[in-house]
Amino acid sequence: MVIQYKCPNCGSDMAFDSESGHLSCPSCGRQDDIETFPETNILRKFDPEEAKEYHCENCGAVILTEAETTATHCSFCGAPVLLADRLTGDLAPAKVIPFTISKDEAVAAFRKWTKNGRLTPPGFASGDRIKKMTGMYVPFWLYDIDGKADVAALATRVRNYTRGDTIYTETDFYDVRREMDLSYLKVPADASEKMDDELMDKLEPYDYGELKDFRMPYLAGYLAEKYDYDDEALFSRVESKIIPYIDSYISSTIAGYSTVSYTNKQIQAHKKNVYYTLFPVWMVYYDFENKEHTFAMNGQTGKVVGKPPISAFKVAAWFTGIAASAFAVLKVISFAVGGVLW
Amino acid sequence: MRDFQSKWLMTLYFLLIFIGIGGVSASAAVDQRVYDNANLLSDSEIAELEAVAAEHSGRHGTDFLFLTSEDPEAFDVVDYMGDFFDAWAAENGQENAVLLTMNIATRDVYLAGFGTAETTLDNQRVNLVLDRILPEMQRGDYAGAFRETVTTASRYMEFRPGVNPESIFFKNWFQLAVALLLGGGIVGFMVYNSGGRVTTTASTYFDGDNSRVTGKLDQFRNKTISRRKVPKKSGGGGGFGGGSTGGGRSFSGGGRKF
Ligand SMILES: [Zn+2]
Ligand SMILES: [Zn+2]
Repeated sequence: MVIQYKCPNCGSDMAFDSESGHLSCPSCGRQDDIETFPETNILRKFDPEEAKEYHCENCGAVILTEAETTATHCSFCGAPVLLADRLTGDLAPAKVIPFTISKDEAVAAFRKWTKNGRLTPPGFASGDRIKKMTGMYVPFWLYDIDGKADVAALATRVRNYTRGDTIYTETDFYDVRREMDLSYLKVPADASEKMDDELMDKLEPYDYGELKDFRMPYLAGYLAEKYDYDDEALFSRVESKIIPYIDSYISSTIAGYSTVSYTNKQIQAHKKNVYYTLFPVWMVYYDFENKEHTFAMNGQTGKVVGKPPISAFKVAAWFTGIAASAFAVLKVISFAVGGVLW
Repeated sequence: MRDFQSKWLMTLYFLLIFIGIGGVSASAAVDQRVYDNANLLSDSEIAELEAVAAEHSGRHGTDFLFLTSEDPEAFDVVDYMGDFFDAWAAENGQENAVLLTMNIATRDVYLAGFGTAETTLDNQRVNLVLDRILPEMQRGDYAGAFRETVTTASRYMEFRPGVNPESIFFKNWFQLAVALLLGGGIVGFMVYNSGGRVTTTASTYFDGDNSRVTGKLDQFRNKTISRRKVPKKSGGGGGFGGGSTGGGRSFSGGGRKF
């Protein structure tokens, strides 16, 4: 892997002196320390010798593998892919969360999950119809986000008290202002076009304690998908993801009022750092009643997501069971309170 | 041990006999419950109401009585009712009764609960019964009003004293609706989550070290005060509540104009 340090002043490649840990720019003379050098100015690229890129002619997926891999199957459609390009100058991932769940463990975890499906048809849980399981690194952008919020609100505090035979309701009005610094770290957005965004969001959270600097050997035995969207294109998605988080933080800073109505809310968020990161995902292709169902499993935590088939009979049974027992409980309570069943 | 058991059985046996006697005596001793002094009812209506009253009287050990009068001079229907009941109770040896009295001349109606009915048909329940029979009274269907009084009061008396028998909580349709909503809600939630749940929260990616409030203002602006009267404990919309008769019998009750 080739790592380039782009000078924040002039954009030239800076020279790295491993003795002192210093970076120096040959063009403008700028000096930087490697420890504090901004992540956005570090460019990681694949070495032509270490990685290959496969294009699936069947579905169009682009898959990255180690250079040693000679032939493989597309992780999306299963078609054999043979056409390979050497990667030259392509952006390499900065971080990776390695697989901690092996294929055997993934199969066991998936079987256990199908058994826990309370609404799935009986055959779904008992059946052993895993057609294919592929361990795949899915490309994500992780954003460190800095933000500022400036909000104004009109808040009220209401209290009631009684004097004589009169009830007084006193409403105090307050002008409330809050200015705050906001910081969110490593908020992920999947950069794959083929992966369903909602599905990938449900796979979160990953344990960032296992987040490693990317090295080629992590790819051994797995496939990695190439990113389809760059970090600029996905920033709006991440923004819409954290806005509800910011809103809840804002309201947590305005406490002790009966009502709060915002008159002005200004939120600015910008990305401080972006990390091109690979997350481990087991893709499970499961045959059931002549239909293929696709599930995804978090390759680190084992969490399974995806739409399982739903049994109308089981839905009806659960509904009837819950409604009937709730009715019975209400009857018992009404008998205990009122002494009457009907 | 055997001795203890047989004592128990004896006690139970006597208890059953007493309950049986109590239940029978309440209904068997009384032969008239409808006193139609104002001649508002036909003979067949009286016969039918007697039958209905007898049936429900046996069930609660409480006699359901109906008294009509046509006395333009009687300025208080409660006094009239009290005098009637003092005499009736002495004559029949029964203190537990629900008594519906109406004076067709002054258009007063009063419902009272005596003895155990003073608690099983308290002022609140009396007013609920009156609410239901008032339309019939106004229509002139006095037989219907008494029939309704007997069936409604009899139903109310099955409820534990003090609870509101018309509370929505006791309604079958309400209990059914709650049960169905709960079933639908929980199963809907299960279906919605069958494909996995979002488990990230606002704090998952939050950086508490670098997030902080930098400016804060809570400025009092103005206040408004609104006043309202403490609501009076209503004794039941035009009723005069319970009381006691000239003979010292206390009762629950309520009355209306119709
Ligand atoms: Zn420079
Ligand atoms: Zn393909």
